[in-house]
Amino acid sequence: MSMIDVKVAAVEQVTPLVKHFTFVKADGSTLPPFSGGSHVVISMDIGGRVHRNPYSLMGSPLATDAYHISVRKQEHSRGGSVFMHEHVSVGMPMKITYPVNLFALAKKAHKHILIAGGIGITPFMSQIADLERLGADYELHYAFRSAEHGAFVAQLEKICGRRLHCYIDDQGKRLDLETLLASQPLGTHVYVCGPGSMVTAVLETARNLGWPERHIHNEQFLSPPVGEPFNIQLAKSNIEIEVPADMSMLEAIEAAGVEADYLCRGGVCGRCELDVLESDGAILHNDHFLTDTEKVSCKKIMPCVSRAKGKRLLIDL
Amino acid sequence: MERGYWIKSKPIYQSLVWHNTATSHLVVAQGQGGMAVLKLFQQMHPKQPVTVLYEQQAESDVDYANTLNKVTNEDLLVLESTQEVVSVLKKIMPQKHMGLRIYVAGSEAFIWAVAEAVKECGVEDGDIMKELTGTLARTIYCVHCKAITHNIKTNVGKCSGCGRMLFVRDHFSRNLGAYMGLMVDAESPGELPEIEEIYP
Repeated sequence: MSMIDVKVAAVEQVTPLVKHFTFVKADGSTLPPFSGGSHVVISMDIGGRVHRNPYSLMGSPLATDAYHISVRKQEHSRGGSVFMHEHVSVGMPMKITYPVNLFALAKKAHKHILIAGGIGITPFMSQIADLERLGADYELHYAFRSAEHGAFVAQLEKICGRRLHCYIDDQGKRLDLETLLASQPLGTHVYVCGPGSMVTAVLETARNLGWPERHIHNEQFLSPPVGEPFNIQLAKSNIEIEVPADMSMLEAIEAAGVEADYLCRGGVCGRCELDVLESDGAILHNDHFLTDTEKVSCKKIMPCVSRAKGKRLLIDL
Repeated sequence: MERGYWIKSKPIYQSLVWHNTATSHLVVAQGQGGMAVLKLFQQMHPKQPVTVLYEQQAESDVDYANTLNKVTNEDLLVLESTQEVVSVLKKIMPQKHMGLRIYVAGSEAFIWAVAEAVKECGVEDGDIMKELTGTLARTIYCVHCKAITHNIKTNVGKCSGCGRMLFVRDHFSRNLGAYMGLMVDAESPGELPEIEEIYP
């Protein structure tokens, strides 16, 4: 996959857990334009092992002099966010993918309801730039734990004005989804990005109120879960690979020198889907892409986040 | 005779079924679409409020309006023309909220006239459940003079704008609510294929 060489132009601590990174092109030229809601995948060399994590692009899609991302430090993760927080500094060269948008605004919508939880605010930072430019009708509902954890609130107040609604958990202010979604005019689309429980609550509330599926949008990148080690066999490459406990199957395939397709690396886009030719155990599907029927059939696996149990898993690769 | 084939733009219609989740329901039907509404009322009735708009057609042999009046017990409005249906929709739609589910039954021309009327309020055609009833007659759009001709029942129809004989294709425009019509004898003027009624 072709990558863009960038260097870190600025690092800023935004909240106790969130850092904001600015990247510019290594050769000083401009970066590719993107659309609101896009993300890039950042490659990190952590002790000789390549980690690739997706992060939403923030800021105006029209400003291509620099890309902006924000990373929340996840203490109990496999180290990508910790690496970004502790080892990435100004001037450092890095590699990122071209932007991909899996969370685009619906162009036909008459109104947009954006719902963010915590670090889930990031994709909306570029979307509101698009919405403001288009003069679209929107509301941004932003929930976070406490005032000190409300990243970018001052900036958002300036951009969104009265369209911004904050819900600060420790001040007892809660977002009432039922009331919010029951009173929207026809032609409204809802978008949610945040913790799993919040995404589920929004999807369920909208569906229960009769919102058509095409009006409901969500983005929830998963990080590959840590699990038991397991072995896979690649039919075309004719090799056997061990997937260690703290590595994803996709990472193990890449580490073995085999090219595999990917885009989001977070179980969302479907690009890395592989065909399972034989298996003697269970597949632990962790993705949001395959349908329940496909998951049960055990004929497909999304190697970016899913794992397996058993001795044999023959993959068509 | 031309048989249907898979083409992405060609709409696929279904039988009306209540959506399980909704805050209210709007059923819009015309002529023999009355039967589709009666079938809908035979299904387990939703708890949410239901509004029915029905366009009565003189040529219909069954008085669906009368039967509908007996079964609906609800907000039934019987209207005389598609124009009237459209003007009622334009009046009531702006007050509606997300959660309203829309069902349409009638000719293809009627279905897409309704879709066009609610589009202004942000309802996308994919949000609407549609049942085709009564006729397969097509509306065609002339790619040469851009005129729209209604009620074409044959494989080749005469354009109401330029008079060209148009071959009726399966390519459908949701925006125009019409199939594409192409001059059938462009290469050999006057040589027409056999004209058959295939959209009765």
